[in-house]
Amino acid sequence: MKIFVSFIIAALFLLNTAEAQKVFGTRNGQISFSSASDQDVKAVNNEVASRIADNGQITFSLLTKGFKFKLAEMQDHFNDQYVESTKFPRADFKGTLVNLGEVNFSKDGAYKTSVKGDLTLHGVTKNITANGTINIKDGKPSVSCQFILVMKDFNIDAAKVTDKVTVDVSCQYQ
Amino acid sequence: MKKWLKIVLIIVAVGVVAAGGLIAYVYLKPHRDVSKEQGVQLSAQKIFDAFKTNEADANTKYLDKAIEMTGEVSDVTTNQDGNVVVNFKTNDPLFVINCTFKTNPGQLKPGQTITFKGICTGYIPDANVVINEGVLVK
Repeated sequence: MKIFVSFIIAALFLLNTAEAQKVFGTRNGQISFSSASDQDVKAVNNEVASRIADNGQITFSLLTKGFKFKLAEMQDHFNDQYVESTKFPRADFKGTLVNLGEVNFSKDGAYKTSVKGDLTLHGVTKNITANGTINIKDGKPSVSCQFILVMKDFNIDAAKVTDKVTVDVSCQYQ
Repeated sequence: MKKWLKIVLIIVAVGVVAAGGLIAYVYLKPHRDVSKEQGVQLSAQKIFDAFKTNEADANTKYLDKAIEMTGEVSDVTTNQDGNVVVNFKTNDPLFVINCTFKTNPGQLKPGQTITFKGICTGYIPDANVVINEGVLVK
């Protein structure tokens, strides 16, 4: 009987924690980048798949062919010469919120945060940190953050155009 | 006119035309228009199966190609730039084919079967296949 009761308690506890972890997702988040030195280097991707959990885990995946440039020629160069989209179609980020304790997923508000994790792009994986904000509205989070991406860190030879870009992330989760 | 001056003028003229052509090429090259392309015809389920079974193989077949896909609408949303996005059902409840229209397709409803033509940008495991810059075929 004792064993049975402790089993029930354990089961309830497990159920409870399973319920406590909430995962939010989107298939159409937005990531854009631009260069301060060349105004033609500007593109946006509206098909970013991302998940964020209230345990602080956050992932982003996008397809580099999904970046839209104003200039078609620039878009072709980006895909063929710089990020080699046919060879490396996807970029992935897997990380965690550094200050999870300061973010309350069940209370509406804007929380300053910082995300740290591994970004894989052009076949190269690097640890990066990005500062941003999590907004909780009606229990649903949205994330915006910004970071500088240095081309040569990811073996991207774009010296002719720009050596770094500013990346903007904006995702609204369901 | 002196002969050397003529030669110089010709060289300058050729240079100007070439530079103009290059600038025009870079700045005026049109974006791809999928509505003018012949698409690979297949179902939403088939493209999902292809990517799930062998991503590399499916990439060579479908990546950057015009895809004319027929399937059942799971849900209709808009992205942050205001374009209509339709998710097509597959037999995996967590996996869809995520399709973005470049022109407004008009009223679409979940459950409807439609044919969409767009450009495939690839596969995101455990989430979706992405097709964008699309138009409604029927």
